Amino acid sequence: MESDSQLVDRAQRGDQQAFAELVRRHSALVFRLAVSILGREFIPEAEDVAQEVFLKVHHAIGSFRGEAEFSSWIYRTTFNQAVNLKSRVRFRSPHANEAVLYRAVTPEPGPGRQVETAQRDQALAECIRTLPEVYQSGLRLYYWLGAEVAEVAVLLGVPENTAQSYLHRARQLLHGMLKEKGYSCD
Amino acid sequence: MTEMEPREAGIDSLLRRSMAAPVPSLPPDFDQRLMRELRRSSQPLDRYQRILLTGYGLTSVVVSAVVMRGQGLDWGTISMMILAPLALVAAARWARRVKNASAA
Repeated sequence: MESDSQLVDRAQRGDQQAFAELVRRHSALVFRLAVSILGREFIPEAEDVAQEVFLKVHHAIGSFRGEAEFSSWIYRTTFNQAVNLKSRVRFRSPHANEAVLYRAVTPEPGPGRQVETAQRDQALAECIRTLPEVYQSGLRLYYWLGAEVAEVAVLLGVPENTAQSYLHRARQLLHGMLKEKGYSCD
Repeated sequence: MTEMEPREAGIDSLLRRSMAAPVPSLPPDFDQRLMRELRRSSQPLDRYQRILLTGYGLTSVVVSAVVMRGQGLDWGTISMMILAPLALVAAARWARRVKNASAA
């Protein structure tokens, strides 16, 4: 199987098949990263980000010098593109409420308990939104999208122990914030 | 995964419960749609479009020059006012190329 750098080399010489193979290899991860930044509420926008990233990369592939991995370049482009989009869509009403979407697959016993859980989930979703982008993305990748710490590290372009410490710090911050709002985490 | 403190384990299990949701994925035809879009956007202008665009550009330049001359401007100022935006466009394209090259 050809490596990414061999495919990039062919794509730089105008080989569309090589670029199509790069798209096939990286599109799912690019989408996962975009979704992890934009959140559950903006899945269609994450698809747009994935498309925009590949169009940009295709346009700029001639100037890619291969000093970094192709994957690092494409994930960094995705991160920037998604964060830019997020700052633009922040004030637009989402397609659906994140806490409600998460809760949809988490059945709870009684109605009283359901209300309590719903309120806590809502508070948690709000707290997550106040965290730095890399923490939010790390949390969504790990807890929602089921990524391993190693995958979180690759997508965020950091060493594995840094990704681990992002998750650790995010949990600590969320614990403090929920406690301040009067919710128990136990 | 390193050992968690009890309070961290609490928030960990809360996050697991609270964030459990179906995992989205790209539509199966995403790659094909993207490649179609790429082919469409990278097609060079055909001969007719080139002639039309060049004609439009030249006509604009001539009309602008005549109008500005009619307003009493000298040819030096007119040339500068026509060439400055073109130089700006060229500079922006050059800056974009440099930016792309450094991002790569």
